[in-house]
Amino acid sequence: MKRICVAVSILFSLAALPAQAQDNNADKRGMVWNDRPSIVFGEDLSVDLTGRALLEWRKFDPAIGEEVFHLRTLRIGLKGELTRHFDWEIEREISGADTIQFGEWKDVYLEWTTFDALRIRGGRFKVPFGLEQNTGVGNLDFAYRALGSTALTPGRDRGVMVFGDLGRVNYEAGVFDDDGDIAESNEPQFAAEGEDLASVGPSFAARLTGDLFRLLPVGRLQSANVGVAYTNSRVPEGLNSLRGEGLWGDDFFQRVYVKGRRQRFGAQFDWTPGPVGVRAEWMQSREQRQEQSNRNENLSDFIGTAWYVASTWFVTGEDKDDSINARRPLFRGGIGAIELAVRYEGLGFDSASKTGTAFTNPRADNQVPNSDKALTFGLNWTTTKWSRIVLNAIREHFEDETRVPEPPTTSYWSGLVRLNIVF
Amino acid sequence: MLKPFCVAVVFVLGLSTTAAAQTSDDFFNPTVLQRVELWLNDADWAKLKAAFQENTYYPADVVWNGQTVRNVGIRSRGLGSRSATKPGLRVDFDRYSSGQQFLGLKSFVLDNLTQDPTGVKETVAMRFFARLGIPAPRETHVQLYVNGTYTGLYGLVESVDKTMMGRVFGSIGDNVQNDGYLFEYNYLLGNPWRFLYEGPDLARYKARFDIKTNESHAESLIWGPIEELVRLVNTSSANGFEASVAPRLDLAAFVRYIAVQNFVAQNDGFTGYDGMNNFYFYRLENSTSHVLIAWDEDNAFLQPDFGITTRTEENVLTRRVLETGSFRTLYFGVLSEAASSAADWLRQEMQRQLDMINTAMTTDTLKPYSNAEHQAAREMLLAFPDARITYVRCEVAKQTGATRPAGCQ
Repeated sequence: MKRICVAVSILFSLAALPAQAQDNNADKRGMVWNDRPSIVFGEDLSVDLTGRALLEWRKFDPAIGEEVFHLRTLRIGLKGELTRHFDWEIEREISGADTIQFGEWKDVYLEWTTFDALRIRGGRFKVPFGLEQNTGVGNLDFAYRALGSTALTPGRDRGVMVFGDLGRVNYEAGVFDDDGDIAESNEPQFAAEGEDLASVGPSFAARLTGDLFRLLPVGRLQSANVGVAYTNSRVPEGLNSLRGEGLWGDDFFQRVYVKGRRQRFGAQFDWTPGPVGVRAEWMQSREQRQEQSNRNENLSDFIGTAWYVASTWFVTGEDKDDSINARRPLFRGGIGAIELAVRYEGLGFDSASKTGTAFTNPRADNQVPNSDKALTFGLNWTTTKWSRIVLNAIREHFEDETRVPEPPTTSYWSGLVRLNIVF
Repeated sequence: MLKPFCVAVVFVLGLSTTAAAQTSDDFFNPTVLQRVELWLNDADWAKLKAAFQENTYYPADVVWNGQTVRNVGIRSRGLGSRSATKPGLRVDFDRYSSGQQFLGLKSFVLDNLTQDPTGVKETVAMRFFARLGIPAPRETHVQLYVNGTYTGLYGLVESVDKTMMGRVFGSIGDNVQNDGYLFEYNYLLGNPWRFLYEGPDLARYKARFDIKTNESHAESLIWGPIEELVRLVNTSSANGFEASVAPRLDLAAFVRYIAVQNFVAQNDGFTGYDGMNNFYFYRLENSTSHVLIAWDEDNAFLQPDFGITTRTEENVLTRRVLETGSFRTLYFGVLSEAASSAADWLRQEMQRQLDMINTAMTTDTLKPYSNAEHQAAREMLLAFPDARITYVRCEVAKQTGATRPAGCQ
């Protein structure tokens, strides 16, 4: 842990570099500070060092066995341009309690960028489903992503995606090896000999977003961005469904037996008029359960549904579109940017069938539903371009008292202070 | 129009009367060879057998006597009897729905009978225990069908749980006496225990006594009284033994239990060949007193000349209890009572049960012994009662100085 703390301190020091470091070095060559340490070889050839560290102090009521101090994330990466036609990025997790070790690869991709209307990305990156899931951790309005973003979205996967900006409409469509790292199979042993035991794919994902409200007489709401998304994959037989996980990692709905098609449907809304931001998402997963009953018959679909509505307000007047740019940064004579935030959200699981007695068993046609609803109050203090302090107070409430972190307590308060270093 | 309606009403009433008449006594009726069907996903059944050493639960439907209970939980069970071919099973009705019961039961056990080629030792012994007033689970035999295929002859065993405690200890007013502390004795392989005091650390006793009720209570409440009992058994003076131990252990019931267990020549019981084994321990509701509940007697009927004080000197509790004159007298008295009770019952009961299971046993192709081995074991078992009764009566007379009955060697 000590070495990890040293690494975080180094990152913090980098983030607190003197004011002159924030000057624009875009025209220089060689080692420069261009929002981050960079090596610039020419106009279209550069390598940037990226890093992020999220360190938390947390409090729970009642206690749920979680650590008070927690290094949420420590990552380091490189990204850059390769001529005018390609961008690339690699990023890797750093883990280990006592010694620094490289962990999971995060983004590793190459992107063809010649045309705005048609771009191609290949490698490992986030599947285009979920507004918040596809928002970088440094730009999140809250310490933790919404329940639905961490349970129902696919997350990262290896694949190829085409995407582009068609003016009012943006599109993304890709084919992926599996179905994302969030939905990794838990029980692949039913796969026949010779099959890819870890495979739940290939999967297909697509998203359309745009400023569709511009076509309507809705005043300032015309600047809102809305979108829909869809994924489709096949899931092998086993305890491989999506599952309900509370904010702190406890399962409130364990995996059920599935086999067949997994679909996700999503809708998103994003509006940032001036210093205010309003975001909302709804998403639903539907998973088939072919031949999964106690008598090998088909069961009704297993359904996960999530939603959230969130709003933010920069008290210090910054434009939400430039949320990480404080007008008067802390180390340049100002107090930074202060933003208030609130989010209400829900994540629940259920079965399509409501016939007969409901059971909690993973092969029941009629599943006993359970859901988690959370209300989060937040204060974000963006001190510099690279550092932010996030305060969150969270009230979490579960529906089923038998499937909670500490039965039979159904409601939990938690709070955290997080230091974000992102460059 | 009215006539079909009336017929329907009569039919429905008839069905409900049949259903209402069925109780857990019918389910465990020892004179009936039951038929139970389990329906579970093929993949789960394959997985349960492949991972038979694990206690993972799988959902299933149970069918008995025309009644179906959906979405129960089943898992592999047993210690030495675990089997991939013919798994012993525990069936929990309330695993996936907290209130679900069947005939008032929360669960039952399907004993795979793999360690007893006779197939009846366990069921005969339990009936004999109950006959002599010792708390014991109700049992009978069952033909088990899994997904429509005959899976073999099993013992159908009542779970030792709160429901059984309520049945055995009854009610005081409206209060069912089933809210005490129930423990299953946990035999630790390679670490035999004979009631020797292991110090004040409750973890030692927690490892040996698995709590089955009131699990959320403080450890000092659950295992503290057991530590105290063991300590007092080991440290009380001869004169103060009964006064200090009797409030914490029903000594008369304990003597009765070990005497009957000895009569049936159980080699793996409280004074087992490798320390204590195979019993439940129950601290009565609102009391400090403990009693023993019979469990897993399929090693009974070992041999007729099984010594009547076998290993009682090795176990601290049995040794100290039998050093007390009145309890020693009681011990031999219960042995004589058991011999009398067995005289006109034991062989007939063995014969009846063997006849009842005969076809089910011989057509069970998954049992780990042949039909010839079953036949040999059956003959040996039927020879046990008469020889045992004579042996016990002679040995009791020898120990107590009474006149030896005819036939003693």
